[in-house]
Amino acid sequence: MSILVNKDTHVIVVGMTGREGANHTKAMREFGTQVVAGVTPGKGGQTHEGLPIYNSVAEAVSNHQVDASIIFVPPAGAADAVLESAHAGVPLVILITEGVPTVDMMKAVQEVKALDHASREEGGKGVRLIGGNCPGLISSGECKIGIMPNSIYAEKGRIGLISRSGTLTYEAGKLLQNAGLGTSTTVGIGGDPVIGTTFADVLPLFEADPDTDAIVVIGEIGGADEEAAAEYIKNNMKKPVVAFISGRSAPAGKRMGHAGAIIMGNVGTPESKLAAFKDANVPVADTMPEIIELVKQVLNK
Amino acid sequence: MKLHEYQGKEILRQFGVNVQDGKVAYTPDEVRTIAREYGQPVVVKAQVHVGGRGKAGGVKFSPTIDKAHENAEKILGMDIKGLTVNKVLVTKAVDIDAGVEYYVGMIVDRNVQSFTLMASAEGGVEIEEVAAATPEKIIRHRVDPVTGLRPYEAREVAIKAGFKGNLNKIADMMVKMSKAALERDAVLVEINPLFIEADGTPLALDTKFEIDDNAMYRHKDLLSWRETEAEHPLEIEAAKYGFAYVKLDDGNVGVLGNGAGIVMTSLDVVNRAGAKPANFLDIGGGAKAEIVYNAVKLVSKDSDVKAIFINIFGGITRADEVAKGVIQALNEGILTKPVRMRIAGTAETEAKALLAEVNSPLIQMYPDMFQAAEAAAQDANNAGENK
Repeated sequence: MSILVNKDTHVIVVGMTGREGANHTKAMREFGTQVVAGVTPGKGGQTHEGLPIYNSVAEAVSNHQVDASIIFVPPAGAADAVLESAHAGVPLVILITEGVPTVDMMKAVQEVKALDHASREEGGKGVRLIGGNCPGLISSGECKIGIMPNSIYAEKGRIGLISRSGTLTYEAGKLLQNAGLGTSTTVGIGGDPVIGTTFADVLPLFEADPDTDAIVVIGEIGGADEEAAAEYIKNNMKKPVVAFISGRSAPAGKRMGHAGAIIMGNVGTPESKLAAFKDANVPVADTMPEIIELVKQVLNK
Repeated sequence: MKLHEYQGKEILRQFGVNVQDGKVAYTPDEVRTIAREYGQPVVVKAQVHVGGRGKAGGVKFSPTIDKAHENAEKILGMDIKGLTVNKVLVTKAVDIDAGVEYYVGMIVDRNVQSFTLMASAEGGVEIEEVAAATPEKIIRHRVDPVTGLRPYEAREVAIKAGFKGNLNKIADMMVKMSKAALERDAVLVEINPLFIEADGTPLALDTKFEIDDNAMYRHKDLLSWRETEAEHPLEIEAAKYGFAYVKLDDGNVGVLGNGAGIVMTSLDVVNRAGAKPANFLDIGGGAKAEIVYNAVKLVSKDSDVKAIFINIFGGITRADEVAKGVIQALNEGILTKPVRMRIAGTAETEAKALLAEVNSPLIQMYPDMFQAAEAAAQDANNAGENK
């Protein structure tokens, strides 16, 4: 078991024939992900490394079982690609693209949520968007729908990982692996201001997963997602959670690469996040390696 | 991209917002000409990309033409928070006592995954101050990104905020501001003060407007407004390489890595090690030798930097590529400061062999980011003491 994706998840790659799409399709298949088809408008009917390419997501869906789509489309067309997958009935959409205009993401996220709601009302699977500007998600030893390095996630562990940052996700994954703990599922939610899935959306899935014993949340400055996560943990979670906050020494008002990581007035400060986690009894690691110590501590309680 | 007051006003005017007119001037003589043309008291306002212009003495009421000239002489060339004022906006002065000042604004709000409209009867002061002292005086409302703000919503918000005046005209201005924000990809737009004239008509006296950099490709008509002199010279150079670079004040350690999260954490680690980061530099994925070389070259140009901390992590990043980039900078004489690096990736053995061959005390590799950061911090702090 794991959350969201497993060895039976069938995946299509939107933008498979582009450079990024092609490289990561290869890496995902090497990991063991069941990639069933690709989508590149105008290249329908061709094949790529033995996989059929379709002109549209709808065509791919009518020819294959599709459980998830991963999008490698340049920023200007990314939000449209998200909506194409969502309207075609793909229940899990992962947007890797960095640099999508925020207004596009606002519109796409709102529409995906409406589709999700409508689908669930009718007893369907709903639609979930993860990202953009994210590394994707991976259930160790089973399925990768993303761009993270394969080697860190070969062995299944029992720690759930959720992160706003790409590289820190790998860093934490490596540390957990080296410590012999390992990860069950890792979800990179993305560093943009408007994203499809937040910490608080993923936490209940880990809480319900019998193969996850504890959860690590890697947050950063800016926004109030960490505060919302702390609130959820406080009110709803029995499993232990350990947190880390990146960018604690960053000055206010400066955009540190991630558009979401910017302190505006009193919102998004490290102090506010630390206080929220403290209130929820969530230990916060001061350094990445300390995450491991804290995870060991909470597991032994 | 931050816009100047006069540019923000120009956009709002295009969307039909009633804005206080004005003209841009670069010299005191131009200010005199404009003041004469207006034939009434004017306000001379510094056009720089920072807040708090008024407090810094960059906004001056000028009752006469001579006074306008005199104020322009004072303001032009003055330094506001490190930025030199090289142009002013001259506007007709309004009789503030004859009306009231309100605040309306829209900001990207990740908590509602859209824009939040803010309105307050406490106008004319920085909204952050209102938010800190009397948050209940700011009315917040999520704006639907597809439909935009609708007139009835605007009226409801205006009523809740306690706005007096022509309700329909005020709501209409808010709707037009929302249209401008959505169509021009604003990150932030503010009308403050929103002046309500004696007859109830709303007038935008001052504005802030910031556009999403990710959306600039569809606002090419505004590219000429981009002012490189307002940015740090190294930030301009970094942009050419496609790096995300932020110059930080009072630092002594240059920091670079691959990924915003890892660089942010690297800043924290340098602070923890007792030194101060001089910059944030994200070189992005796929750290090839040439990219690393350019990054080292860029950071080396910063005279604040006494040591460089490189923190690279990636399953697909080749450590030897990173080493090659650093060695190239060393061989070309560009690298004169110690580089302390941690590279977790493939081909670490090859990287070590390359470095052993060069055998320079300037370049050292460490097994983890803490040791590398500590070494860099020590080098930087020692360099400071030896000065």
